[in-house]
Amino acid sequence: MEIQEFKDRVFAAGQAAGLEDMEIYVSKSKTFSTCVFHKEVDDYTVSVEQGVGFRARFSGKVGYAYVEILDQDSVDLLISGAKANAQIIESDDEIEFFEGSPRYPEVIAYNRSLEAISAEEKIEFAKALESEAFATDERVSMVNYAVTGYSETEVYMANTKGLEQSFERNGAVSFVSAVVREGEQIKTGMRMMFGNNWGEFDAERLAQDAVREATSLLGAKSVPSGNYPVLLRHDVARDLLSTFASVFSAEAVQKGLSLLEGRLGQQIASPRLTLVDDPLLKNGGASASFDGEGVATRTKKVIEAGQLTTFLHNLKTAKKDGMESTGNASRPSFKSPVGISPTNFFIEPGTLTYDELVTKMGDGIIIIDVQGLHSGANPVSGDFSLGAYGYLVENGQIVGPVEQITVAGNFFEVLETVEEIGSDLEFGSPGSRGHVGSPTLLIRHLSIAGM
Amino acid sequence: MLAESLVTDVILAALSTGGDFAEIFMEDTRRTNIRMLNGSVEEGVSGRDYGVGIRIFQGFRSVYAYTNDTNRENLLKVALEAAAALSGGPQLTNIVLQRLVVDRFNPVRLEPQDVPHSDKVGIMKRANLAAAGYDKQITQVAITYLDTDQHVLIANSEGLLVQDRRIRTRLGINAVASKGNEKQSAFRGPGRHMGFELFEHIDVEEIAKDAARSAVTMVNADYAPSGKYPVIIDNEFGGVIFHEACGHGLEATSVAKGASVFSGKLGQQVANSLVTAVDDGTIPNAWGSQNIDDEGTKTRRNVLIENGILKGYMIDKLNGRRMEMEPTGSSRRQSYKFAPTSRMTNTFICAGQSTKEEIISNTEYALFAKHMGGGSVNPATGEFNFAVAEGYIVRNGKIEKPVRGGTLIGQGSQILQKIDMVASNLASGQGMCGSRSGSIPTDVGQPTIRVSEITVGGRKGAN
Repeated sequence: MEIQEFKDRVFAAGQAAGLEDMEIYVSKSKTFSTCVFHKEVDDYTVSVEQGVGFRARFSGKVGYAYVEILDQDSVDLLISGAKANAQIIESDDEIEFFEGSPRYPEVIAYNRSLEAISAEEKIEFAKALESEAFATDERVSMVNYAVTGYSETEVYMANTKGLEQSFERNGAVSFVSAVVREGEQIKTGMRMMFGNNWGEFDAERLAQDAVREATSLLGAKSVPSGNYPVLLRHDVARDLLSTFASVFSAEAVQKGLSLLEGRLGQQIASPRLTLVDDPLLKNGGASASFDGEGVATRTKKVIEAGQLTTFLHNLKTAKKDGMESTGNASRPSFKSPVGISPTNFFIEPGTLTYDELVTKMGDGIIIIDVQGLHSGANPVSGDFSLGAYGYLVENGQIVGPVEQITVAGNFFEVLETVEEIGSDLEFGSPGSRGHVGSPTLLIRHLSIAGM
Repeated sequence: MLAESLVTDVILAALSTGGDFAEIFMEDTRRTNIRMLNGSVEEGVSGRDYGVGIRIFQGFRSVYAYTNDTNRENLLKVALEAAAALSGGPQLTNIVLQRLVVDRFNPVRLEPQDVPHSDKVGIMKRANLAAAGYDKQITQVAITYLDTDQHVLIANSEGLLVQDRRIRTRLGINAVASKGNEKQSAFRGPGRHMGFELFEHIDVEEIAKDAARSAVTMVNADYAPSGKYPVIIDNEFGGVIFHEACGHGLEATSVAKGASVFSGKLGQQVANSLVTAVDDGTIPNAWGSQNIDDEGTKTRRNVLIENGILKGYMIDKLNGRRMEMEPTGSSRRQSYKFAPTSRMTNTFICAGQSTKEEIISNTEYALFAKHMGGGSVNPATGEFNFAVAEGYIVRNGKIEKPVRGGTLIGQGSQILQKIDMVASNLASGQGMCGSRSGSIPTDVGQPTIRVSEITVGGRKGAN
């Protein structure tokens, strides 16, 4: 069954079943991914998929259901499922079905020339990642991942209030992970790139950077425990920001799950720090003209020169706070209920290069990777304690690699103690928590546990 | 589910360019997910996951394609598109499917689809009341309920045709305790490969109170001292240390490519002789159990380490080709959207001779990790990290005081050598394990063990 026919059947069946407002959120995607190992295609995956998320109001409450196949059984399941789920809701939250914004922004997030890149070209790129990695250093014992992927997604929303909107987005991702061996020592280095301009993908650079990072870690030692000035490299700073992004969600604030409650307008971060949510970013991995409720998106500063200027809202939280939605309603997938998420979310870059930051720090530790973010970080308290590695810096020079340490601190304290911000803003790969980016940050000090 | 003739045609189309093995995995899954916050139901989602994955091998090469449009025309198109990635080799033109009847050892009495939502909410309310009423420092309780009913059909060019059904039910309890500006949370998530009768097997109130107790204990605790010192890890979810630090390195996914520290070490001493570890997908109704794996192979009890000697790996079909070893019933995937690979089911360190009390009373100074959080590992280097969700300092053979915020880091193979006491109180906890083939339910387990030395990271300086 085609989606328009399916929608008509669902809305008609819903009306007959006494459902009040109804909305469908359809996502259609096409993906490709390949992994090369020992010059052969080791993994090759293609998909074409679609899913329909449905929500409906019954007796004033809203229930959800989703399906992945468009047949009559699915029509029945959407109606009966959403109705049953509406009937158990006890929360008094008022949920609005949106009739549409007067205007929607122009957003460019789909690049047709990227779609035209053939499977062979992508395979060749993955092969080049592997061969370049081996060519970079003879200590490379294995390239455990040399991957190229592509995905495109089309989102279509329609409801019984008259909303009907769609957008499309595409992007390619590539990553390479190299293993180097010297004697008994084994180290890994990884590089990843996301974007939708194929011309910017440089296999040689990605592979060389991954290998150089791995070899740079050979001979790593622990350091004595203590408080050290720390450089959080852009990718580590970004992962930390992504992990704690929920503290800026109005939903978390209203539920008492964010320590930023009551701090709007206050100085919560170093005056150097500005945090932006920009859904209109050209070719951003989370760029979109409307959010998960159909509200037109817009760019805003969440922290401006250290001052907390807004939380991220959807219609429900905005209504509670007596304000307009910030266009941050999220549907991480068609299966998920409406939540809140940042879009393209990043710390504005400063002026110092990475090398200048190292000099400026003088003595301290550069953290280039952390492990355990999903378990060792508590978004409610802001506390984190993570396995880490990187380099020891003395007198403004990197003197050697560091491993077997943990870095511990508190996200809110990190925001306050940012001393310098690098010019090297980089984004990660987009996910359900938005597309997050950061430059390298110099932090006054963090607790390092080592020897 | 698909007709046999269509299955045959799709497999033959998949093999049309010289593939030497093709497989179809079809699923139709119903799910219920309900979320409650502070006693009030906030969200309910019912869902149907539906689609087909087609996999083709040619030697060590593997191609995977999936779709949720399962009409004949589209399935043949997808099979041919996937096959286009391969070329050469002889072409198979005929297969005879033989229907295999699955021996179901995970009986289900109360199918979740037949249980009204109000009963599910009733269980959640009981959990909420017990946790919220435990202490006035408990400021928030979030309860989740989920059930899944997965119908699968697996067929391949070796003639296999098998259907199975996996029903799982789980309750999640998250209690948050507050003191001033500080908050600490504790999670418990009992689940089984069974239906709604789960709630006849577990004590919802006791588990909810335990989550609340843990959160309250931690919000009142000091930070864990950092440094390198002995760690006692309690039973049940403490088994996550073996799962992360060693289990992932024993999956053929990393072993076959030589990416694991355990590659090529069969028959060698890899752990202290006190350590025997097993991955067993055949425990009736356990969370990670399955009648058959996601390639249609019967699950088994696989001994991984016996008295410290490496005995076996967890192997899927593709990596079995690379390793020239038989599959071990360990191939799993989150859904049709993932090609399967070797994964864990129910993994645990077997019971030893000591008692937990003996371990504690024989320890001068240690961190006692009563409840572990999650963790992760780099399979190439074996480096792991774990969060200690509920910790205590043991001094002079006695538990002295609770501590929070500790992280354990180290190398899996070294930790295995340093396990110097193993208790007899084997028990398991439930988790979701995320890896290459998606997020899957797994049991972790162990008795209380002592590790002579681990690096403990924490916010407080060295002790």
